[in-house]
Amino acid sequence: MQYDVVWPKSPLATARRPLAPRLTDGLAGKRVGFLWDYMFRGEELFPVLARELEARGAEVVGYDVFGNTHGPEEAQVVGDIPSVIAARGIDAVVSGVGA
Amino acid sequence: MLRASVAAERAGVPSVSLVSPGFERQALATGRGLGFDGMRLAVLAAHPDGQSTDDMLTSFRSSTLGEVVAGLTTETRVEGATTSEPTALEVVASGTIDELHDLFCARGWTDGSPFVPPTRERVEAFIAATGHDPWRSLGVARPSGREITVWSVAVNAVMAGCLPQHLPVLLAVAEILAGPHYGVEHSGNTTGADALMVLSGPVVGELGFSHGPGAHREGERANTSVGRWLRLFLRNVCGFTADEHDKATFGNPAKPLLAEDMEVLAEIGWPSFAGEFGFGLDESAVSIGRINSTVMIGSVFGDTPERILPYLADGVVRATGWDLTHVFGLGRGHYLPLLLISPMIARVFGRAGWSKRQVQEALFEQARVPAWKFEALIGEWTNLTAGRRTLADLVAAGELPSAFAESADPDRLVPIVTESSKFLIAVAGDRNRANALAMANDGPHGWWTSRFVDTSPSLDLACRIGDDECGA
Repeated sequence: MQYDVVWPKSPLATARRPLAPRLTDGLAGKRVGFLWDYMFRGEELFPVLARELEARGAEVVGYDVFGNTHGPEEAQVVGDIPSVIAARGIDAVVSGVGA
Repeated sequence: MLRASVAAERAGVPSVSLVSPGFERQALATGRGLGFDGMRLAVLAAHPDGQSTDDMLTSFRSSTLGEVVAGLTTETRVEGATTSEPTALEVVASGTIDELHDLFCARGWTDGSPFVPPTRERVEAFIAATGHDPWRSLGVARPSGREITVWSVAVNAVMAGCLPQHLPVLLAVAEILAGPHYGVEHSGNTTGADALMVLSGPVVGELGFSHGPGAHREGERANTSVGRWLRLFLRNVCGFTADEHDKATFGNPAKPLLAEDMEVLAEIGWPSFAGEFGFGLDESAVSIGRINSTVMIGSVFGDTPERILPYLADGVVRATGWDLTHVFGLGRGHYLPLLLISPMIARVFGRAGWSKRQVQEALFEQARVPAWKFEALIGEWTNLTAGRRTLADLVAAGELPSAFAESADPDRLVPIVTESSKFLIAVAGDRNRANALAMANDGPHGWWTSRFVDTSPSLDLACRIGDDECGA
């Protein structure tokens, strides 16, 4: 017996958007924010990253300014990211650590 | 982590996400579900938990750093952006049972077990019996970004072998998944907790769910098929497949729906499990949370609460380890373990006139661990709680109640939850056995959520399957 079956998935409901423009003129003079989920040794990785970015002329805004992006206040912290970015004049972010 | 990056991209600011190997596809899929193809990643050389500091930082400087800089400063053309997909009523495959099984397995649309072919006719008949509008949207599934409709619920229900009368339970669960409280987007996290549905109220008997012997395993159609529906729905609609969002290290077996013994609860005058979330005994509700460890508490011997409580408390403690990071760390007072007791045990409490609240308070006093062990479990033994703070520090900062720092003795016993009401209790299983199960929940990542189950006929009928204006 033959069966004609339908799709068990469902259509994507989210509109496609392009990524934000990259900083093609380099990092010098730019402000880079760090976003951390407070896991997986970010407290060791981000200081190294800060020194390297500062050596390239960037200014770093630490993860403590944003708060824990994965903890119980995740929704609030992530929801506040745009306003913190605007208030601090942040040009780019690095978010971690997914593991 | 990726959701934070997306928030920045939406604000017009470029982002790079740091991920360890093996998480690239999950990260890209999460971005896609939120509307962004080609999120920029910088990949660590290895998972940070297993590396020495020197190795981790050396490889970070030599490799990952370059990807961070490139991701922030260079434009790339996004390849493989989302292509067209089938519509709901489109026939995506034709074949015999065996051919469809092979094809669905190959495409990741099923769990490997045989399924009922979801033909349009079967799905239409499934919904028609209930009066629901098939195209009614319940929200957007996370992390896939796919729409949750009555139709998508029903397709997977047909596959799982559900009956139309189960649909009110499925819709209530789907509404929980669509909402923000439960946190379905965490369902693929590392420890592999699996969702447990607990059904309470008159709906248990009305729809023929089993609450007796073997209540917590497959074996009865209603419990088994609804449990399987949830796994299929998480796979097909929410996106939890191994190639995308399911990053469980081991995973747990899929759980059938657990139905409570409402007769015994009424007999001893206890609220149902859903009562903890505001529902009365006469109200039908389904609750869902994600469960990690489960510990069997066998042969609970004793004819008084005082005699059986120490054993129950010990079982809950034995189910609890890293989960304490949900008391502080990954969560803040989000550890709500579930103690499932058999009716025979419940009747011991009932005969002694104990309320469920009294049992919770007794567990709070007796289910305790040494302070040094608690601190190790949220400190030196885990990488999920930053800061290595002591319990005394946390109490002083107002992060935990005073019961966690009544002395400075590292051997003092401290609670495993922040207040007694956070011990959840359900009653089900063989009425003639004295056993219990302790289950550790996954904190805010599958946060206990209850919803009313509305079994009344739907008045949605304004829309009929196939009508153009209904979006088919």
